[in-house]
Amino acid sequence: MKLTIFEKFRNVTKCGKTIKQVFKYTDFKIGFILLLSILSISVHGQFFIPESYVRIGAFEPSQPPQGLNLLGTDSFGRDVYAQLSYSIANSLIIGIMVAIIGTIVGSVVGFISGYYGGTLDAIVRIIINVMLSIPSLLLLLLIASFIKGALDFVSVSLIIGLFSWAWPARQVRSQVLSLKEREFVNVAKLSGMKGYEIIFIEIMPHMFRWMTVHFISTILYGILTESSLSVLGLGPQKNLTLGMMIYWALNYAALYRGIWWWWTAPVIILIILFLSLYLMNIGLERIMNPRLQRVG
Amino acid sequence: MRIGKNIERVITYLLSIIISASIVFIVPRLIPGNPILRILSSYLERGGTGVDIEKLVEDYKHLFGLDEDLFTQYIKFLSQTFQGNLGFSIVQFPRPVIDVIAESLPWTIGLLFITASMSWIIGTLLGLLAGWKGESSIFSKIFVIVAILSYAIPYYIFAIILLFLFALTLHILPAGGAYSVGMAPGFTLDFFIDCIKHATLPALSIILASLGWWFLSMRSMILTIKDEDFILMAEVKGLKRSYIMWKYAFRNAILPQFTGLALSLGSIVGGALLTEVIFSYPGIGWILYQSIRSLDYPVIQGCVMIIIFSVCTANLLMDLLYPLLDPRIGREES
Repeated sequence: MKLTIFEKFRNVTKCGKTIKQVFKYTDFKIGFILLLSILSISVHGQFFIPESYVRIGAFEPSQPPQGLNLLGTDSFGRDVYAQLSYSIANSLIIGIMVAIIGTIVGSVVGFISGYYGGTLDAIVRIIINVMLSIPSLLLLLLIASFIKGALDFVSVSLIIGLFSWAWPARQVRSQVLSLKEREFVNVAKLSGMKGYEIIFIEIMPHMFRWMTVHFISTILYGILTESSLSVLGLGPQKNLTLGMMIYWALNYAALYRGIWWWWTAPVIILIILFLSLYLMNIGLERIMNPRLQRVG
Repeated sequence: MRIGKNIERVITYLLSIIISASIVFIVPRLIPGNPILRILSSYLERGGTGVDIEKLVEDYKHLFGLDEDLFTQYIKFLSQTFQGNLGFSIVQFPRPVIDVIAESLPWTIGLLFITASMSWIIGTLLGLLAGWKGESSIFSKIFVIVAILSYAIPYYIFAIILLFLFALTLHILPAGGAYSVGMAPGFTLDFFIDCIKHATLPALSIILASLGWWFLSMRSMILTIKDEDFILMAEVKGLKRSYIMWKYAFRNAILPQFTGLALSLGSIVGGALLTEVIFSYPGIGWILYQSIRSLDYPVIQGCVMIIIFSVCTANLLMDLLYPLLDPRIGREES
């Protein structure tokens, strides 16, 4: 049985082909290169810059870019470049954790609701719509404000993840609804496969590429939400993330005191990061949706 | 199990409000300890003085019936909330939360209404032109890049950049607040001009950040519609290009744009809150930020409830109005 599952996965997902296909799109290529350049900053910092650089008082405070400090230092005497490289990693980890939670929960909900249908589906559909119509940032900041002292990047990812499953669930559900009417699912039913077997072996492989798209857009959502919470002072206070860097810079009036290197660094990196994820998302969506291949 | 679309929308709306209210109710109670004492201790830790703590505790106990069981508390909380009784601010005790919020609401509503409608109109029109001129036109290509930037960059980043450029570097526009210090609010021309000046940068950053999406969705809609048979038919009939654009393409593409407005209202409001924070614009986002900083929990809860309520209500209204705008939908249902 195991072998057949793997074979089916290999046949249907055609991962290699998808990857080749997606790199044909300029948007995806640009996005991918931008992401790689950001990652290289992070990797460089992690491996070549000692952790002591981000400790308070490591250097002379508020120094413009010079010598050892490629991007200067902040008002606490921390090296901005070192902070940046650690922040990129943490922000991405938060995004990926949110995406894992959102995609898994969303897919499970979407699969079950779409496949079994009926009253269950009607209820789930309403719950999904409710989740989508509530502006989640507000509930997130409410929860975050009550656990302000205990915010680190795990708890922040968890609470953002709680609100990130509705969109993937809706998409997966509608895909499953159309897939389950196809011939091969009927054949599987007639051949006596059980519901969960059909979901895993017959339908899931078709959904893999869809789930990749949602994975990237949920990473985007996760990083965006984390940085928004951070700007409000509700980010992971004990960790460095891009949002928290902006928060500290704003909080210590870097804008007004002319310490431009402190706030421009995280702002530029965030812009590039959002742009790269968005461009990759466009590229992937084009493969999913043949109509967009011609249009967008 | 088929329920009417409108009934389902109303159910979704009511559930959204009730679920949000329930989360607002549950969250403080999940944190161990007496909710009032927790609220108060966080304030006392910061050396809050001059507040009649005994009276505050009594008021809260009475208001939320905290000596009763959880279920009664919950029902009381819901009924109080829906009557607009959101409790008292701790920092500005004994001022009711609803007062604090009411003072800030006009600023937010004014800012949001103007910016949301302006960006929607500008984005839709530019998208219409770009789509109509075709993918290969330079106009379209340039604006697609601008729109992708606008869509990908979050509101607060636009706000930070504009604040730095126009207020702190070029000194053209004021850096914060809704009107100059020392200006007496009133219905005078001077005050009005002052307000506009202060609102320009926040408004600009909200417009810039939300424009891109309207542009991109309208453009791709027009590009699809352009290939439809009825457009070809109109061209064959020899109608003017501009007539076809407005009466055939625009008319059909505008409806999904309305749905888009309903769907993205929540994120626009969220983005506008952060913009207010960056510009210390005294709307509800600024109040929220202040109350987060001073841990004034009743105000945080009140702001969250009011904003969610407004966004959901606006959403519902747009959903219910949509079929009136699109005759096709009404017919399908009946």
